[in-house]
Amino acid sequence: MTVVDTLLSGQLLFAALVTGSTYALVALGLNLVYGTLRVLNVAHGDVVMLGAYAGYWAFTGLGVSPLVAAPLIAALGAIAGLLLYRGVLRRMLGSGAASSVRLEGNSLLLFFGLSIILQNAAALALTPNNRGYSYLDTVVHLGGVAMTGHRHAALVIAGATCIAAALFLSRSLAGLTMRAVIEGREAAYIVGVDVERVQAMSFAIGFASAALAGVLLSMLEQFSPFSGFPYTIAAFIVIILGGLGNVAAGLGAALLLGAIETYGVALTSANLRSVLLYGVFVGALLLFPRGLFARRAARA
Amino acid sequence: MTTPLLAVRCLGKRFGGLVALDDVSFDVAAGETVGIMGANGAGKTTLFSLIAGNQQPSSGGVDFDGRPITGLSPDRVCRLGIGRTFQIVKPFPALSVLENLRTAAMFGRAGFRDAAAADRHSRAILDELGLADVAERPAGTLTLSGQKRLEIARAVATGARLVLLDEVMAGLTPTEVARMLETLRQLRATRGLTLLVIEHVMRALMDLCERIVVLHHGERIAIGTPAEIGADPRVLSVYLGAGA
Amino acid sequence: MPETLASAGASRIWGGTLAALALALGALPFVANDYAVATGLGLLMWLALTQSWCVLSKMTGYVSLGHVVFYGLGAYLVVVTWQQWPLWLAVLAAGALAAVFAALVGLPVLRVRGPYFVILTFGVAELVRYSILAAEAASGTASRILFGAPDLVFIYFAMYALAAAATLLLAQVAGSRFGHGLRSLRENEEAAETLGVPVVRYKLIAFVLSAAIPGMVGAVMALRSTYFVVGQVFDPMISVTMIAMALLGGGDGTRGPILGTLFLFTISELLWANAPLAYMLILGAILAGFVLLAPDGIVGIAAKLRARRSAPTKAPE
Repeated sequence: MTVVDTLLSGQLLFAALVTGSTYALVALGLNLVYGTLRVLNVAHGDVVMLGAYAGYWAFTGLGVSPLVAAPLIAALGAIAGLLLYRGVLRRMLGSGAASSVRLEGNSLLLFFGLSIILQNAAALALTPNNRGYSYLDTVVHLGGVAMTGHRHAALVIAGATCIAAALFLSRSLAGLTMRAVIEGREAAYIVGVDVERVQAMSFAIGFASAALAGVLLSMLEQFSPFSGFPYTIAAFIVIILGGLGNVAAGLGAALLLGAIETYGVALTSANLRSVLLYGVFVGALLLFPRGLFARRAARA
Repeated sequence: MTTPLLAVRCLGKRFGGLVALDDVSFDVAAGETVGIMGANGAGKTTLFSLIAGNQQPSSGGVDFDGRPITGLSPDRVCRLGIGRTFQIVKPFPALSVLENLRTAAMFGRAGFRDAAAADRHSRAILDELGLADVAERPAGTLTLSGQKRLEIARAVATGARLVLLDEVMAGLTPTEVARMLETLRQLRATRGLTLLVIEHVMRALMDLCERIVVLHHGERIAIGTPAEIGADPRVLSVYLGAGA
Repeated sequence: MPETLASAGASRIWGGTLAALALALGALPFVANDYAVATGLGLLMWLALTQSWCVLSKMTGYVSLGHVVFYGLGAYLVVVTWQQWPLWLAVLAAGALAAVFAALVGLPVLRVRGPYFVILTFGVAELVRYSILAAEAASGTASRILFGAPDLVFIYFAMYALAAAATLLLAQVAGSRFGHGLRSLRENEEAAETLGVPVVRYKLIAFVLSAAIPGMVGAVMALRSTYFVVGQVFDPMISVTMIAMALLGGGDGTRGPILGTLFLFTISELLWANAPLAYMLILGAILAGFVLLAPDGIVGIAAKLRARRSAPTKAPE
């Protein structure tokens, strides 16, 4: 296949869309959590992994279709997020850490430690082997593109959820409140926003969307206890490129990342998938050294 | 006519569309104390940041002791002899008060290579600023008033000839203001310091400064002795409203 | 938090302990079997790595989560030049390669602050890992078999020298004017620069200094493996272990990392053979637990206990 053929392939475009929309869904959760709390949850991808296992069991153990199990698992994720927020985070945030930068730096190591615990606990309890199952395996032809049914389903669900989230943030009052907290926590306090509730809510949505992404992932690929981390990295890239708290731009950034990966791999080789991912990651951070502080406000 | 110690020449700073400083010029002679006055957002702290090298000007320049220092990094500006305090104090919280000064003494113009000598130099300054009894305490445990005095002590400990004081009286009670004024006068006398002082506390400004520069929306609208400034119609209209 | 030397007595006890440790490790190959020597080698390796890491991350506060990249580059250089370069040259060149890499990458990377620096260093290490993996796959080399490695005792003493060098380096830096500048920029970078500390230059120097020894450590450890797999020498868990050991120990001198390394190494030796996943779990728990509950490590806890026992105005050094 020539380069031009590759680039114009509807097949690849579709694959890029599927990958991109999954990344967008994962990034959505991290965006909200980081945006409202300034806490870098590097264990976010592991929640995706846990969602994948949940989806796997729902199907192989209980015979429930992942499409049906998905909202339930997402709800479970939301509850887990709320519990984690109430249990651990509030204590950390309230302990009066020396400076906010130190807290952020420490919280990264904290969550990294949690990530390691999650991955290895899962490996211990569930074996480190790859898991997978087949669902909606039949190939569906749509406009010259041949894709398995589960890919269509994943794209629809991920895409719909992201668009709904973007609309929520831009149109609803609750969403506006959340954006206010993301842009200026102190100011939000002053105007009477219940910042506590917004933070709890963002944690809940964050974990829910990650769990949902996990269920979709379980339909699409084989996974292991260690599959989660690349999704964390992808989520970071999306947030850095799209801007903090900006879910709509994040969607665009996620699709771009999906495209870079899909087309990059197709043009070169599958070995380069991770090289591309981390290459974009390093590049994005170097280009935007202030990382996730996307707003360049004028200082008086 | 001797070269002024500090020459601010047509200094300008924009942040995107916002003009923080616009064509500001003035001189400071060695040994003088010059005040900077203006409402919040008038550009005072930006002025300090530009002089000290924390930020780069969009236009214009700064000369120190006859040579241009525009564009130099803050550490080089410090070694040349300019020290500054920050409006929002920036102590080294986990280091002791003495160690805070040690940094200044070792890396500033004073340039002590040896920690013991640096500490002797520092203790004298701590004495003058009433911080001698907390010398071994972590700087993060000091009260705000103590931390403000620490800011000044550090700036002086660099061995600077010109010290930029940014609102060091803010939040002090009248008694504390009086004490601080006395301390500053003493420091100035014993070390031959040239001072550039941003202040909102009028009494301190008028008391300490020989001349005052008034900024408004980033422009210099007046310069003169405290008496002249007090009578300047433009200053009065800005501070008391039109037609005053 | 700076090290607390509560009294001359305490520092004499520490000095004595350190000397005893040095002697014991030095005598090990002459009195023990190969298994014990290999274990001692592991301990020396971590002492060298952790203390080098501290030169950057404890002193400047820029926490590197990608330090394994220097180790891996050093190992890779030795493997690639196997039997073509004399070993001593390869090991020294490995240190130089790591230092040069740090110098080149350091300038852009050190502009990034706080947690972004942490994940960026992780990203750089992974990028190098995957790039080398891809290059090897493209050239058809999956793994390499190395013949003619020097014997264990030689490798042991090479590592002994590196561990000693790392200890000396960290002690020197911690006690020097340079080290004071690093601590200052850790506490508040803008204030430090305004007080005359050349922060950009100092950060870079600390970065390069922290890279050289790990490069040589990787090179020496490569001599141990007859069967070399690239992925292993860039394993992120090596970076994580360095951090955990330093965090466990606390402080910003040599005492903390040495204590932390001894402690964690003992745990790992007990678990690694039989329950590697459990060990990783404990590693993660230590990381999370200490960050949350005891961010100043063993040294910090000891200092707090001492402070509570003695006069209330006891101050850290």
